[in-house]
Formats: sequence, C-alpha cells, structure tokens
Amino acid sequence: MIEVLVPGPLTSVQDAFGRPDWRHLGVPVGGAADAWSARLANRMAGNSDNDALLEITLGGLELRCERAANAALVGGMSVSVDSLPVAANAVFPARAGSVIRVDPGSGARGYLAVAGGIMVPPILGSRSTDLRSGFGGHDGRALRSGDLLEIGSSSTTPRRWTGSRPDGPIRIVPGPHATGISLDGEWTVGTEADRTGVRLDGRRLEALGEVPSMGLPLGAVQVPPDGRPIVMLADRPVTGGYPVPACVIRADVGRVAQLRPGDKVTFASVSLGEAREALASAEAELAALEAPGDENLGWTGSHE
Amino acid sequence: MIRPFGESALLVELGSAERAQALAASIRDNTIGGIVAVVPGAESVLVELDPWEIESERVAHALEGRLARTAELAPIGRLRRIPVIYGGEHGPDLADVAELCGLTQAEVIERHAATELRVLFLGFAPGFAYLGGLPDELHVPRLATPRTRTPAGSVAIAGSMSGIYPADLPGGWRVIGRTSLVLFDPRGDPPAYLAPGDTVRFEPISG
Repeated sequence: MIEVLVPGPLTSVQDAFGRPDWRHLGVPVGGAADAWSARLANRMAGNSDNDALLEITLGGLELRCERAANAALVGGMSVSVDSLPVAANAVFPARAGSVIRVDPGSGARGYLAVAGGIMVPPILGSRSTDLRSGFGGHDGRALRSGDLLEIGSSSTTPRRWTGSRPDGPIRIVPGPHATGISLDGEWTVGTEADRTGVRLDGRRLEALGEVPSMGLPLGAVQVPPDGRPIVMLADRPVTGGYPVPACVIRADVGRVAQLRPGDKVTFASVSLGEAREALASAEAELAALEAPGDENLGWTGSHE
Repeated sequence: MIRPFGESALLVELGSAERAQALAASIRDNTIGGIVAVVPGAESVLVELDPWEIESERVAHALEGRLARTAELAPIGRLRRIPVIYGGEHGPDLADVAELCGLTQAEVIERHAATELRVLFLGFAPGFAYLGGLPDELHVPRLATPRTRTPAGSVAIAGSMSGIYPADLPGGWRVIGRTSLVLFDPRGDPPAYLAPGDTVRFEPISG
C-alpha cells in the first residue's frame, strides 16, 4: 500500500495504452500522455509495459510507502527518497515507511512506477483514469491527500536503463488536409497545454475552415479557425471537425506531452519512411535495459 | 478518397455516414492485416494500423479494393425508443427554438418526435451520439454563448442534428427536453446505449 501525503497539482493513475477499442462509442483513448516514459518506468521497475502507474503533472507529489518496494521515475521531474535525491530515470528502492517526493524538473510530466503496479480495477480494458468522465483509475478522479493505493506483488528484477531519447525538433508527417501549409519552424507552447492537447502560439496559420467530424489519431495537429494549431494528445475527444494538415510522428508524441507553457518547440517535416525508422529507434531505446550491478542500490531483492 | 493521416493511420472519406458505417463494419467482420482500429466519423472512417506490421501505403491499396465493394447499407442497427419530457425546466430552449423555426412549441415537439433519426457516429464525450435526419424546419444555430453545464439526459438540437447529453457537460446545442435513460455507463455491457447505425425515435411523455 502507498499513501498519498500531498497530491500536487494533478496526479492520476494511468496505464500506457488506455482504451483504444471503445472509440466507436465515443470513449476517448486516454492513458499516459507520455506513453513512452510510462513504459520505460514500468520496464525499469520490472513491470509490464501497460501496468498502472502514477502520472505526475508539474511535481508536488509526496507519498509514503507502507512496505519496501522498488520504484522508478521517468520523465521531466526530479525525485527524492527520505529527502535524499535519486538520479533521474533510475530505479530506486524505497523502504517501509519511506517518503517519496517528486518535484518539478525539466518537463511537464513524470511517471512513477512501483514494482507490482497499482492495483485498481480495469474498466473497459484499462486501469487509466478518465478524468473528464470520472471513471477508471482510483475512483475516477485525480489523487487526493489520504488516498491509499494498493500495490501488486512482484518478484521481478528491476533494471537499469542505458538508452537515450532524441532532443531535436519534433518531427511531423502529412495529415489529411491542407498539406500545402507548412508548420515547420519554431513555436511557443501556449497556456492551454494539458492531457487533451498542447496549443501552439507565436504565429498564426491562415484560417482553414471546418471539415466533417472525423476520428483523430494521437498526435494529429488540428488548426481551429483562429489559426493556432493544437497537437492532440491522450485525452483528445474521439472526433474533431477542424482540418489536420500534419501529425506529430508516434516516436515524438510523448515529447510533446512534456512541453510546458512558454517552452519553445521546433517542428520539422520528415517522410513516412523516416517516421517509421524513428519509431523503431524509439522502441530500441526503450529496450536498452540491463540488470543493475552490485554497486547499484536500486535492488532490494524479491518481495511480496 | 484515402488520405494519409500520419505514419500509423489513414482517413477514408466516403461522403456519408451510411457508407462510413458500412466500411467500418466490413473491416470489423473481415479485417485487413495490420489494421488495429477503425473509428467512424460523420463521412469518413479513421483506420489505424500497426506500422510494425504493415506500411500505410499497402493498407491504402487493400482499402481501395474493399471500397469498390462497399455499398450503402440499409440501417444496420437497432430501433431505440427514447422517452422525453419536452419543454419547461427540462427543455429551457424549446420556446426560443419554436420562435426561430416559426412554429409553436407543440409543433416543434411533434416534428422532433415524428422523425426517425439515425446515429451517424459517436464523439465529443462517451456515449454522445450525433443523430442525423432532423427535418429542415428544425434546423437552428447553436447558442451564441455555450452553457458551461448542460445536465445529463438533455435532448438537444443544432444544425441538422439532434443529440442527448450522456453526462453533465458544457454544450452549445439548444435543449428542448430531457430523458431519464442512462446513455453511458462505463460498467455496462455495452457501455453506451446507442451505437453507429442505430435508428432513434423520441417519444414524448408528460412530466
């Protein structure tokens, strides 16, 4: 069991893949906004990719572990255990009674995986929280002080990550509409940046009108009548009626979810072939894991 | 028309919800290798694929053949009857709608309830069905200022469509009545009362 002492601005239970199979009934996909980081945190903690974990927005989270557990934090946050800083993107042991604190860092979101995963009942095939409709995860809502989360049992070995994540431009490929319009170049992240999408400011595209409502894949860049593009993320509605001149490639969508209001971001067009190569490369980096050496304290042994 | 939609999806534009539903059903019944999801829209189907398994260019080619064999289907769904209390506190925009349409409130109710509507697609929120087929004389613009909260069960119209709010949601459609039916229950099987292709008929009841 872990107890939430301080929840921070927005911490919720999510899994990596959400609910992709219920969109014909209007149910959004949801799941971790930066699924790549969520999967990496799970792998480092010895979990399966889609096990439930915590998505922490802009830090401010404090938890107490009731029993010893290995945990891993991945993404744009810093973490300490009993006030001692822990290396970023590393697996670490928490002892019974330890307090884990997650603070703001270089990005918008951090993913805290605990070995065994968070045990909440799956709804429509997922343990993720649908914050807007209020179901899934822990009571269908963001975490609050005093919440108790059950942790599954685990006998797996935590692992150390030796991979990396690209830090160049966010790569885009054509969407279905107005592909003559270029989004390449620098943008500023607007104040509206959440799990639904990230709005871009700094310049405006020409108004493109509306199109018949259509299903929106992850990373679709919608252009509403005001000409300020929105990159659609995990909690995007199932359908949208604004033109989509471009899509962020799958390998880079999670990086968009790490952007904070005011951040600068650069888009660069690539080919479909390059997008597929980038995805293969992102998957290869995820797999760059090894058993920790003896010098690594991140291993407290098998536990219940 | 098949358009690229990133490296993992295609948008198949079919020109009508009926053809979109027919194609989505055809893919669900007899899938094409590499396709992982189909999502019907107003006049299109979003086809998502696994780029590990197949390139979108090859899926587009396979879809061309399927499209040629996809005819417009007769309504594929069920008939769903939805009891509605029209007007008063349950339909705060009924009077305005009547005025905009140049009809009496009773005539608006009669025409809304006399029409067999069809579920075109779902979106906006879980269980929210876009119902097409509203007669021309009931076409009204959205509210100039959307409500921050439209109560669950609100039966509303906007443009050529009608809809029912499955939960308390912000919304700009004009509310003419309310139903007590549960439109979405995440623990239900299926979770939504309406699905693409269903026919919907509203039945006036008294409060």
